[in-house]
Amino acid sequence: MADAIVSVEPARKRRKSPVGDQVRWAFWRPMNVEKLALLVQRISGLALLVYLFFHVFVTGFVASGGAAWTGIMEALSNPLTHLGEFLVFVGVIFHGVNGIRILLLELSPLVGTPARPDYPYKAQSLGRGQKSILYISAVMTALAAVSAFFLLFW
Amino acid sequence: MRESTLQIVNYVMIAVLFFTVLLHLALHGFFGFVDYEGSLVYSDVVTRYRQTIPAVMLTVLLISAAFHGLYGLRNILLEFRSGPVWDRTVSYGVLVAGIALVGWGMRTIVLTAMGG
Repeated sequence: MADAIVSVEPARKRRKSPVGDQVRWAFWRPMNVEKLALLVQRISGLALLVYLFFHVFVTGFVASGGAAWTGIMEALSNPLTHLGEFLVFVGVIFHGVNGIRILLLELSPLVGTPARPDYPYKAQSLGRGQKSILYISAVMTALAAVSAFFLLFW
Repeated sequence: MRESTLQIVNYVMIAVLFFTVLLHLALHGFFGFVDYEGSLVYSDVVTRYRQTIPAVMLTVLLISAAFHGLYGLRNILLEFRSGPVWDRTVSYGVLVAGIALVGWGMRTIVLTAMGG
């Protein structure tokens, strides 16, 4: 009986990539804007953490005297740094306002009341209240982008 | 420390961070109250470090940002994998990173406040 088996192909192993999994999950059906918001929240959070280390390191030069501080400020006074500051400001505004939405979902009645799971299965936590805060965070991020653009590049 | 305690501390840090970040951005001209380039002049920066309230605010901002950021990083990393070794490695890793970050920031604040 075993001779009848021509070849046994092992099940193909999917390469595990945690970052890829996160991105795939965010764009996987059913797609909703909240999943994208969580992905952006995480990316902006990690980027802001990297910036925090850089920022604390750079501000350390102020303890070394005026010459060291002026030197590092002149070295960092270029369009690329301004672009970084622009992204930091925009990231802070989105992360902050969207973070308030997440906090309210965790700690307030905004999460919604339980309901019978009837088709088409709408999650109670994805109601209009939290969605409006998400849209507010998007609008505030856009306003912050315009404000930072004029401050840093104009 | 229990996870629930850490989460409560994180909520407190978020609340503190919200106000201190807004103040920090405002002090550096991002809301148009002061000049952005002027806020980075050495004499102005040093003056801020030598005044009690701004120095305390910077300290609180540093600690809350470090805690919130590294706690978030820890949560993300703990979602990727599980197991006691991974848990310990990540937890002690972010603790060491936090001590280094807060230590370096406090060194800057204290040395500048005391005269550089």
